[in-house]
Amino acid sequence: MQKKYSLLISTLKDNLAECDSLNKLVLIKSQYLGKQGKLTLEFGRIKDSKISERKELGRILNDIKMQISDLIDKKSESLASINKKETLNFFDVTLPGRNISSGSRHPISITISTITKILNNYGFTSVSGPEIENEFYNFEALNIPASHPARDMHDTFYVTDNKLLRTHTSSVQIHTMLANKPPLRIMTPGKVYRCDSDPTHSPMFHQIEGLCIDKDINFCQLKGLLINFIEQFFGKKMEIRFRPSYFPFTEPSAEIDIKFNNKWLEVLGCGIVHPNVLKNVKINHKQYSGFAFGLGIERLAMLKYGITDLRIFYDNDISFLSQFSVLK
Amino acid sequence: MKLSTNWLKEITPGIKINNKLIESLTSLGLEVSNVSKIKKDTIIDLDITPNRSDCLSIYGVARDLFSIYGKTIKPLKQKKISIKKSQLPLAKINSMISPIYSCLTIENIDNKIKTPQYIKTRLSDYGIIANNIIVDILNYVMIEIGQPMHAFDSDKISGKLSVRFGKKNETFHALDGQKYLLNNNIPIVTDSNGIQAIAGVIGGKSSSVQINTKNIIIECAYFNPEFVRLASKKFRLQTDASYRFERGVDPLMHSFAIGRVLSLLSEHTTLHKTNFFQKADKLKIKTNNKIKINIDKFTQILGQQIPKTKIIQILKRLNFHPTIFNNIITVIVPSYRFDIENEYDLIEELARVVGYNYFKPTALPVTTSANIGNNNFLEKYSSYFISRGYHETVSFSFLPKNSQNNFIQPSKIIAIKNPISEDKSELRTSLIHSLIKTYKYNFSRQVHDIKIFENGNTYVNHNSNSMKEVNTISGLISGKNYDSNLKVDTKDLSFFDLKGDLLSIFPDLTFVPSSKIKTLSNSCQALIFQNKKYIGYCGEISDELYRENSVKNNVYIFELFADDITMKSSIIYKKISPFPRVKRDLTVLVDDNIAGRDIIDVIERESFKYMINIKINDIFYNRKEFGKDIKSVSIEFCFQDANGTLTDNIVNKQMDLIFNHLAKCFKAKLRK
Repeated sequence: MQKKYSLLISTLKDNLAECDSLNKLVLIKSQYLGKQGKLTLEFGRIKDSKISERKELGRILNDIKMQISDLIDKKSESLASINKKETLNFFDVTLPGRNISSGSRHPISITISTITKILNNYGFTSVSGPEIENEFYNFEALNIPASHPARDMHDTFYVTDNKLLRTHTSSVQIHTMLANKPPLRIMTPGKVYRCDSDPTHSPMFHQIEGLCIDKDINFCQLKGLLINFIEQFFGKKMEIRFRPSYFPFTEPSAEIDIKFNNKWLEVLGCGIVHPNVLKNVKINHKQYSGFAFGLGIERLAMLKYGITDLRIFYDNDISFLSQFSVLK
Repeated sequence: MKLSTNWLKEITPGIKINNKLIESLTSLGLEVSNVSKIKKDTIIDLDITPNRSDCLSIYGVARDLFSIYGKTIKPLKQKKISIKKSQLPLAKINSMISPIYSCLTIENIDNKIKTPQYIKTRLSDYGIIANNIIVDILNYVMIEIGQPMHAFDSDKISGKLSVRFGKKNETFHALDGQKYLLNNNIPIVTDSNGIQAIAGVIGGKSSSVQINTKNIIIECAYFNPEFVRLASKKFRLQTDASYRFERGVDPLMHSFAIGRVLSLLSEHTTLHKTNFFQKADKLKIKTNNKIKINIDKFTQILGQQIPKTKIIQILKRLNFHPTIFNNIITVIVPSYRFDIENEYDLIEELARVVGYNYFKPTALPVTTSANIGNNNFLEKYSSYFISRGYHETVSFSFLPKNSQNNFIQPSKIIAIKNPISEDKSELRTSLIHSLIKTYKYNFSRQVHDIKIFENGNTYVNHNSNSMKEVNTISGLISGKNYDSNLKVDTKDLSFFDLKGDLLSIFPDLTFVPSSKIKTLSNSCQALIFQNKKYIGYCGEISDELYRENSVKNNVYIFELFADDITMKSSIIYKKISPFPRVKRDLTVLVDDNIAGRDIIDVIERESFKYMINIKINDIFYNRKEFGKDIKSVSIEFCFQDANGTLTDNIVNKQMDLIFNHLAKCFKAKLRK
């Protein structure tokens, strides 16, 4: 009997000597200690032996089991340490990752999205409208009659005698006010067009305008909103000033300048909605008041990212675009 | 408008030229754009907005500054002259063009006398070249008080002066040497011989004042801004006079202006016999406009109270003659403030004089307004495209002339009537043209692997009255799928990469073979549908659109009509089965012209029991073994039961049913 078991141990030892991997060791372990393992079968035979011998046999088998387990554990430890040594070849984590596909969002879109997210917190929702407009929505309803010198500020592209490419997104405000009852809080991002092209002007650019119509809207609230807006957009306190300006559709009108490198730069026009505009869209100006503001997206993006040439926005050079590859 | 501070100090001696003055000007709405020193003078450049024509003179700026400083304005030296009862040199004056027209006649004036240096210097600071004493003094007074005037040599004027509209085909020789062809919108000044001036814009050559001129007529008029503007626009001719007239000049300052001119002329040259004539249609001059405003309205609109005494003081200093009764203030608007029409204008006046800094920012109340915003497609989906490696582009809506003619009916193209250049003269009917342009731009800069997308409108003419704008999202891919990299084989991007990108973002799209999109290659294009609705197309671009590529990379594009795409709006959880899935493959031989999608469709339509998924795994051709135009299609099926473990028997039965169905629909044979 003992001999039989010592043979079992020595075969195991031979097996272990040949074993060179943890995988094989697992296999060996199951050959001896698994459900159909050699030792497990021996345990199964206990019930076939004489009752008087059973106890002794059980003790011997348990002893053998301990030995086998010990041997396998030791082998396992030594294999693990060898394995470690084998993989000690430098695992270079600095090599490039695979299948990187990093697209990017255009800085104009990032800027629009940043602005709309800020304004959305103040209850403004995004509205869009046509880019091909007639003179009513682009000019007349906004208190800019045909003979008005203010039309000089808007060099307009025409597609027919009375249809034009909108010169500002204020036209969307008119559509919205005609179709909805106050209170209103909207913002209108989009493309606008002016017959103008040089390093600081583009025939197409992007604007966003905001409009708030409600009871008791006033100039101090406009200031409060826009000061907060600018601070949130640039992520820090900026030195800004409000100064009187002129837009036919607001009265009083203001321009906001921000100080960059010790120079005041015009970034935003705003004001209290002119009563004529409210009359044109059939909103009672005795009952409601409102404010509006508008700004150029490219201009803000240029200030934020330090871009100096307006035209680079529309070249779509991948080397330019990929600089904005952080998902926003 | 340039502001000579020395000149300003002559008018308002009490004013100090310092930084506070610069700030005050800007805070009044007369924005300072530059400050420069010329000799002993400081010149301030002001950006005057179109509504503030009253500030297009030194005197006007001084008058506005008075509202802040209250420093006395010194009266300008005048030589008083009264208006003659007769209107001797004036014939018919069209009062639409000029409701008030004055002139000063002078005889025997010595125009050979040199203009004093201080006048010459000041004119040159304003970019005006000194000419002769008469013209120089008229220009000087225009800058000083804002009234443009014109002098005619009266010996070269025959008969009386008239003001009327031009006639078609009339021509006019102006003193700039140019010939102008008139029409019936152009306001002109004539004598019995012909045209002597385009009213408010420019005088004529023949009657212009020369060095030996002896007798003159000085025109001092109010011209309707609208007509001056039309003329100036039509001839693209902006003069110092037209710039002021089209913004509006004080109609009631003629005596003041003439008195000032006469005083300067008498001081610096010799002259005899002066007469002052005027024709006025008082009904057509809007003056003494009265506005009433409740004092509470200021606080209501501005959001912060201004003391009543301050309000009255400011309105007084603005020369608005305020009177107050029961909280209602009544003002009389001075004749030079055309821009003041209603109570909101008064609110702005008050706000700008107290300064916008006076008003403390407050919080905007929480809104009760309805959310009427529309969903921004791009906002939602651009991040999906970006995460699949696409760069977003923004291109002009304009395309070069005739660049789209081969791809769309020319009548559908919307052209710009006044383009800034030939390469930006029509609106795009598809974003593909823009994407190709971006592709070329980058390709020529050694960027050959490219994935880009753009969202924007396309513009189509349906008929002259209906132009349609379509919110479109388009993309382009070309080159390798990834940067070649450690142990990774790169592959050329193909149609199926594009399709895969689209399906990963919009999983319920179906693709139908097509050949009707002209911008796409005939052999590789598909129409895209979602729930049976046509929402766009994709494929390889046609050679006609682009074939100059030196490295032959295939270029694939898609174009989707963004507003037609619907997104799954709600998600409803389906119970998942705890029982194992069973996968089976089936390989059949079918005709080559049977599309993979059709095979999937006929099986899906039958909804075989327990089948939860189906996909085509392989397509294989072997002419020898299967025959011509026959392909082998391997399909993988996945079965699962919600209530128990599926036995082989059950699955085999389903597979038999499926094969029989394929055999029936496509004459499919089992591949042995």
